Amino acid sequence: MNSKIFSLILGVLSVILFWIGWVSFNPSDEKAMARFVSVENLVNNKISSRIKLGGIVKNGSIEISKSNQLECFFVLKEGSAELAVNYSKTRPDLFKDGAEVIVTGEYRDGVFVADELQTKCASRYEGDLREESNYKLEELET
Amino acid sequence: MTPVAGGVALNLALGCSVLSIITLIAYNRTLDHRLFLAGQRLGLAISFFVFISTFILGYQLFVSNFDIDYVARYTSYETPNIFKISALWAGQSGSLLFWLFILSIFNTVTIIQNQDRHLNLMPWVIITMSVIQLFFLILTNFITNPFEPTQADFVVQNGNGLNPLLQNITMAIHPPTLYLGYVGFSVPFAFAFSALVNKDIGALWIRSIRRWTLVSWLFLSIGIILGGWWAYQELGWGGYWAWDPVENASFMPWLTATAFLHSIIVQEKKDMLRVWNMVLIILTFSLCIFGTFLTRSGVMSSVHSFTESSLGPVFLSFVFIILASSFGLMFSRMTVLKSPRKIESVSSRESGFLFNNLIFVVMCFGVFWGTLFPVITEWFNGDKISVGPPFFNQINTPIGLALLALTGIGPMLAWKGTSNNKLIQNFALPIAFGLLGAIIFVFLGFTTYTIISFSLCIFVVIAISSEFIKGVKVRKSKFNETIFLSLYKMIEKNRSRYGGYIVHLGIVLMFVGFTGHAFDKEKEFGIQVGQIESVANYNFQLTRMYEEERPNHYAWITDLRVSDAAGNFITSLRPEKRVYFHKNPDINKRQPHSELDIYSTMNKDIYSIFSSVSSDNSIAFIKIMINPLVKWVWIGGYILAFGTLIALWPRKD
Repeated sequence: MNSKIFSLILGVLSVILFWIGWVSFNPSDEKAMARFVSVENLVNNKISSRIKLGGIVKNGSIEISKSNQLECFFVLKEGSAELAVNYSKTRPDLFKDGAEVIVTGEYRDGVFVADELQTKCASRYEGDLREESNYKLEELET
Repeated sequence: MTPVAGGVALNLALGCSVLSIITLIAYNRTLDHRLFLAGQRLGLAISFFVFISTFILGYQLFVSNFDIDYVARYTSYETPNIFKISALWAGQSGSLLFWLFILSIFNTVTIIQNQDRHLNLMPWVIITMSVIQLFFLILTNFITNPFEPTQADFVVQNGNGLNPLLQNITMAIHPPTLYLGYVGFSVPFAFAFSALVNKDIGALWIRSIRRWTLVSWLFLSIGIILGGWWAYQELGWGGYWAWDPVENASFMPWLTATAFLHSIIVQEKKDMLRVWNMVLIILTFSLCIFGTFLTRSGVMSSVHSFTESSLGPVFLSFVFIILASSFGLMFSRMTVLKSPRKIESVSSRESGFLFNNLIFVVMCFGVFWGTLFPVITEWFNGDKISVGPPFFNQINTPIGLALLALTGIGPMLAWKGTSNNKLIQNFALPIAFGLLGAIIFVFLGFTTYTIISFSLCIFVVIAISSEFIKGVKVRKSKFNETIFLSLYKMIEKNRSRYGGYIVHLGIVLMFVGFTGHAFDKEKEFGIQVGQIESVANYNFQLTRMYEEERPNHYAWITDLRVSDAAGNFITSLRPEKRVYFHKNPDINKRQPHSELDIYSTMNKDIYSIFSSVSSDNSIAFIKIMINPLVKWVWIGGYILAFGTLIALWPRKD
C-alpha cells in the first residue's frame, strides 16, 4: 500500500471516529440520550435530566382525562417505589393495568412527564398456565 | 413417547458432533482416508438428528400436545395451523432449535456439494461447522430444551396462544428469512477458518464461497426490509426503523457482510486485501452470533426483549472463543497472508473498494457503540445512559451519505488507477447533473442534508446509467444488435457486475425514501362526526363512526374523508380499533389492537391510526402522519433483491 493511501485511510478513520465521539458527548437533539434510573432513585434524588424508567403499571391506576382522551395519568411501580406519570400521546395497544412499560421523559414537581411510552413487546405470553386452564374455550371464540 | 424421541435425537446429534470433530482431527494427524469419510458421515448424521427433532417439535406444535411446555406457551387450540408452525421460532428454545435446523440444512448441502471438491479444505470446514452445531446443541440440550415437559400439577387444557401481533404472514416469514442470513454466513466463515488452518489463502477459497455469501446477504437484506415493512404496517408508530438493539443486531452483520461482498471482488480479481477479507468474514460471523445473543438474551432493554435468561454468558463466551481462535490463527498466518501485490493509486477501483470497506466497518462500529452505549457508560461512571434514534441518525447520516457517494464513484474508477482525462470524462456528466439538482433543491428551501442526499442520488443514478449506456453502445456497434438485445447480452455476460449496479440503483431509491423522512408531518387530535381537522394541507373529515362484532374481535371503525386544500376528494381512510378475545370475562386478557389504514402513493403515504374512542362513543382520537416517499424504500428493496438474483443466477457452463 502506498503511503498516500495509508495516510488517507488514517485521515478518514480519525475523522469518523472523532465524529462518533463528538456526537456521543454533544448530541444535537436533547432527546438523543436518557439516563436509566430506578424509580426509587428518582423519587429520592429528584434528578432533573432526561430519564428512562422501567416498571409495572399499578393496577387500577390508569386515569384518562374526560376532555382529552390522549391525556393519561397512571402510577408506575418498580418494587415498592411508586411514581405518578403523565403521558399525553397515543398509547400503545398493550398499555394496560399490570403491563410492563418503559417511559422516557422528565421529572417535574413530583410527576414524571413522559413523552415516550413503550410496552414490552409481548413476543410471547408470559401468563400462568394455571389460569389458562380455567379458560372456557367457547368463550374465547365465537 | 414422541416428545422423548425429540430429546433423544438432540442427544444423539450432540454425540455425533463431538465424534465428528474428534474423527476429523484424527484424520488430520493420520491422513487415513477412512477417518475422513467417517467424519463426513458423522457430520451428515448431526444434521439428520437435528432434522428429526425439529420435525418432532413441529408435529407436536401442530397436534397441540400441551404436555410440552413450549407448545403450551406459544400455541393454543385456536391458533391457526400456519401460525402453529411459525410458533417454532416464536420462543427462545424453539428458535435456537430452528437456528440449528437451518445450520444443518446448510451443512448438509455444503458436505454433499463438496464431496469431491476442496478436499484439502473440507476436513476443517466440517470441523468448524460441527463446532458451531455443537454450541447450539449444548444450548438446546442443557440450557433451554424445547422438549421440556410442562411443569404443572394439573392437566393443561389449552395453551397460551400466539400474540395476535405475531399472527401476521409477514411476521411468520421475517424471522426465518433473517435466520437464513445469519446462519448462512457460517459457511463462508468455515471456509475462511479452514483456509487459515491449511495456509491455503489465495483467491481459491474466496471463489468457492462467493455464492454462499451472496445468498446469505440477500436473505439478511430481505429479512431486515421485511421487518421494517411489518413494523410500518402493523405497529402504528409510523416508521419502519427505530434503531432498536434487535434491529441493530441484524444491521451490524449486514454492514460488514456488504463490505465483505465488495472486498472479495478485489481478492478474486487482484489477489489483494487477503487479511482484510479474513477480518471481515470473522467479524460478520461473530456479529451474527452476537445478534442472535442480543435478540435472545434480553441484555438490552428493547421492545423485542425477552426475559433475562442464562443464555447471555454462554453466548458471549462463544463469541469470545470465535474471535480469539480466528484472530489468533490469523496472526500466526500473517506471513502467508501477506498479499503479493499492493494498491498503486488512490484513484484506482481497488482503493475505491478499500474506502467503501472502511466506511462500512466504521459505520458498523458506530451502530455497535450506540447499541452498547448503556453498557459502556455504566462501566465508566455507573450511569446507564441509553441513546435513541436521534443519536443514531445524527451519527449515521453523514457516514451513509459518504457511502452513497461511493456507490456512484467506485464503478467509474478503473483497476490500478484512473488517468486524469478519464476521471474528467467519467465524472463530468454525473457531477453536472448532481450540481444542477442541488441548485434546484436550494431554491426549494430544503435542509442541507436533504439537498446533499437528493443531489447525490441524482449523481449516482447518472453515473450508473452511463455505465449501462457505455456498455450497450460498445456492444451495439460491435455486434450490430438492437438496444434491448445488447442490454440483455451485456448483463448476461457479466452478471455479477451489472447485477451489482442494479443493487446500487435499489440502494439509491431507498436513500430517496430515507431522505423523505425529513419532511414527515404528524398530528394527534380528537374528532366528532362531521368535524374537519387539517394536517399539512390535507383535510380530514370524520363522516361516520360505527361498531361491528366480527368472528374473533370487536371493532370500532371510523370513516375519514381525505381531501386536499382545494377540497378535492383524495381517498377514504378507515382505521379501526379492535379488541381481540373480547368475550373473555377477564378484562386483562382482552387485547386491543389498532388496525391502521394507509393511503400510499409514490409521492407520500397518508398514515392513519385510530388510537381510542371516548367512553360515550362520540369522539374518536386519531393520529395522522404524512410520510413522504416511503414507497421508494420498498421499491428499492425489490430492485435490490432483483439485482442480487441477477448476480446469483448460475452460468450455463
